[in-house]
Amino acid sequence: MNPQDIKATVKTFILNEYLPGEDPAALTDTTPLMTTGILDSIAVLKVVTFLEGQFGITIEPHEAVLENLNTLSDIERFVTSKKA
Amino acid sequence: MIPHVEQPIGARSMKQRIFGFGQFAAVAIQFGLIALVVDSWQLESQLLARLMWLSFAGFIIHHLLPLRFRLPFFAMLSLLAVVMGVGHLGPNVGMAWFTGKITTASFLYHLVPGLTLVGIGLGLIGVCHLPIRFGARVGLVALIGAGLTFLRANSHWFPDVTEMWIILGSMFMFRLMVYLYDLRHRTAPFSLSRAISYFFLLPNVCFPLFPVVDYKTFCSTYYNEDWPRIYQTGLKWMLRGVIQLLLYRLVYQYAPLDVYKLSSALDVAGCMLGMYLLYLHISGTFHLIVGLLLMFGFNLPETHHLYYLATSFTDFWRRINIYWKDFVMKLFFYPTHFKLRKMGTLWALSIATLITFLATWLLHSWQWFWIRGRPLLDWKDFSFWIILGVLVLVTAIYETTRGRKRTLRPSRVSLRQRLTVGLKAAGMFSLMCIIWAYWSCQSWTEFQALVDAASRPTLRELMIVFGVLVLICLCGMVWGWSSRETSEGRGTQASRAPFRFWPSAIAVTAGAVCLLAVPSVATRMIPASKGFIARLHSDVLNARDMAQQRRGYYEELDVGRTENWAWHGAEEPEGWSKGKMAFFRGRSDFLLRDIIPSTSTVLGGAPTTSNSLGLRDREYSKAKAANTYRIVLLGASNDMGTGVRNDQTYENLVEDNLNSRVPDARYSRYEVLNLAVAADSILQRVLRLEKEGFEYQPDAAILSVTAVDEQFVASHLRQALIQGVEPPPGYREVVESVVRRAGVKGKMPAVMIERRLQPYYTELCRWSFQRFAQQCAQHGVHPLVIYRPAPADFSGQESAGRTKLIELARAAGLEVIDLSPAFDSVADRSKLILAKWDDHTTALGHRLLADKLYEGVVPLLFGSPSNEQTSSRQKP
Repeated sequence: MNPQDIKATVKTFILNEYLPGEDPAALTDTTPLMTTGILDSIAVLKVVTFLEGQFGITIEPHEAVLENLNTLSDIERFVTSKKA
Repeated sequence: MIPHVEQPIGARSMKQRIFGFGQFAAVAIQFGLIALVVDSWQLESQLLARLMWLSFAGFIIHHLLPLRFRLPFFAMLSLLAVVMGVGHLGPNVGMAWFTGKITTASFLYHLVPGLTLVGIGLGLIGVCHLPIRFGARVGLVALIGAGLTFLRANSHWFPDVTEMWIILGSMFMFRLMVYLYDLRHRTAPFSLSRAISYFFLLPNVCFPLFPVVDYKTFCSTYYNEDWPRIYQTGLKWMLRGVIQLLLYRLVYQYAPLDVYKLSSALDVAGCMLGMYLLYLHISGTFHLIVGLLLMFGFNLPETHHLYYLATSFTDFWRRINIYWKDFVMKLFFYPTHFKLRKMGTLWALSIATLITFLATWLLHSWQWFWIRGRPLLDWKDFSFWIILGVLVLVTAIYETTRGRKRTLRPSRVSLRQRLTVGLKAAGMFSLMCIIWAYWSCQSWTEFQALVDAASRPTLRELMIVFGVLVLICLCGMVWGWSSRETSEGRGTQASRAPFRFWPSAIAVTAGAVCLLAVPSVATRMIPASKGFIARLHSDVLNARDMAQQRRGYYEELDVGRTENWAWHGAEEPEGWSKGKMAFFRGRSDFLLRDIIPSTSTVLGGAPTTSNSLGLRDREYSKAKAANTYRIVLLGASNDMGTGVRNDQTYENLVEDNLNSRVPDARYSRYEVLNLAVAADSILQRVLRLEKEGFEYQPDAAILSVTAVDEQFVASHLRQALIQGVEPPPGYREVVESVVRRAGVKGKMPAVMIERRLQPYYTELCRWSFQRFAQQCAQHGVHPLVIYRPAPADFSGQESAGRTKLIELARAAGLEVIDLSPAFDSVADRSKLILAKWDDHTTALGHRLLADKLYEGVVPLLFGSPSNEQTSSRQKP
């Protein structure tokens, strides 16, 4: 799966789960998710479960942090590094 | 790794340099102004003012240093602050040593506590980095921690370094856990200067309650943005902290926080509101701390973001102490949830949340242990955290299953959405007031009394409460949508709100200048505001805490007390009031207690002795000698002379004066016998005269009254009820009538009894004055009433209380000497009280009272000699 596919998959999940009715174009690769409250601590857990199920990776508690999950780009980078 | 955010000097144009210098000068001016504000308002402690100036000087040097030297410099500055702060090594000590007033050995002795702390701290950091298995390192740290815990529990073994334990605990009790966690996962860079900076954080020496700064955030946010933005944000937060601390003082001094005195539903609402607003103290100090850290480049996230406008329990949890939330999430919630996630989201969420709140309770108890020396394992604290945990969990489950409304464009907020947020904020505020009041009350019975006082609200009271809620709703509509300021997104190029340096600098400067100018401007324009400003300036206990100190002080004398009242002298030195156990003894009659004859002890820090007659006084023969004029004084602890030596009590000073001046040639000797007993109510004072005072064949009897007597009457009747003591004949009718009408019984909670008896105080006082006048007339004794002013008017209600008492005494046909002007010459009333934790009158106060009493008593008892000054007596 290439980086664009990862971002698209995660974006669809976030739009469906947390931002129903929002314009998909408004959610860019650099839109902050955690620092703006779109993903709070509980939503992060759901995203983690989704990432693990979707991409077959295992995420540790200390990895569910801002620098890995704050934007779509961060998430893509994190998933790619985990898969590697 | 520290990001470099500054251009090399050579690459900057002259214009940029001038602009940069201008910004730095503006920052320095604002920092100086804020330090001045802290100093002039005497916020927190003298140590904080010193720390602010040290930080200010350190900030200038720190900023001018090349970036690579800044962190080591901050580490050294923090260590210096620790050594100076813990050892109370201020400029006075330095000057005293320099001028030879103290020896070098004494000077070096001041370094011991700080150096001990630094030594232990460096040792702990060293153990974290030992070249052994990580698990072994953790085990070793735990072992050392257990040893330190044991020493803290027995800190009385080392009385000279008691304070050191508190600060040591504050620095390491939580941060060591975070540090080990990050060390385990290698989530941040590690170095000696980082570790020293992190653990010995500069402001920590002034604040035992300190935000649990996350190590990773601490490292990753260091100069992660341009310095003008970081510094200016820090200044803004510091000013916000200062304002909150002043608001806290306002609430602390003026809110109706004494549950014993609540008389209406509005009082109850004010009390609950006040209890909740007292949290401004923590919020203010955290703002000050975090703001100060930003001045050294640590671009930490905003703390306590508009938590009074939270719209749900989860929102409250996310807004209030973000540092604590992040700490428990990192160490407890996420690890637990990740371990349990196979059970399903809801189960994992529920168990992880409850474990997190359980940990919060235990860790608060742990914190309490390090600060106070004993753990706080009380069911009220436990139930508060569990209730809060369950409420957060319920909201979290609701949000998980139903979904919380999120949006990418917060600007699209309709009026209806705003109204919803406002209503939620008002509802949440009300609920938190109730929960917080439950947590803040001293006991369950105090909370019951609080509810009891609110049982019959009037329409007017309901309307006022409704008005306050509408105000909160409006605030929620305006500001409820704003999100916490954070810099954590910088590393991921997250967009941040636009930053304007100069408007912010002007606002902070104007705010600080206003705070500096307010006292002098207000007192010039409105002279009556002098007392108000003075109370905000000083760090003295409020009326409630002083009343509780009094209650606590006499608690152990309360033989029949059935409750385990959880009072502990907040800052009272050990042994300060220990002597009362050796000085007083219980009685089985309505007097309840008296003084043990011929005993000596320490009360309020002063040596105190009783004579063979059981009076806190000099030796006298029971029978009056010929040509002697004898006066008996009836009163409570201030009249008894708690906190001063025998020869310093005002009655002995008056006696000395009478004997030296001999105002009446018929008498060669004058005696003032002190029948005052601590905490005697006005009923006990009159009864003591009847049972004991007349036996001394007095010529005159002085009944001392004061505005705080109300508290003693209520507590006297409560104790009598609880102990089942019958009032003596003559007293029975009035006491039983009051008890019946107040609807109080011995089995009721003490606080409820006292609160319900409160409305009958005037009636009991009136009766007591009449009884005093009648009994004195029967025995041919000259009766006098003196109004003794409180050394410091903490409740601000002395004036009303004084007028009422004087009127009642006059109405009973009694002569009154008002001693209130005695203290007029003292501008700083704190000089008249023994200590912050003890509002008994000092020796200075007794001298002033004696002078005024002598002036008043001589003309009334012996006629007015021409060479005597006019007294302030007021004839009926």
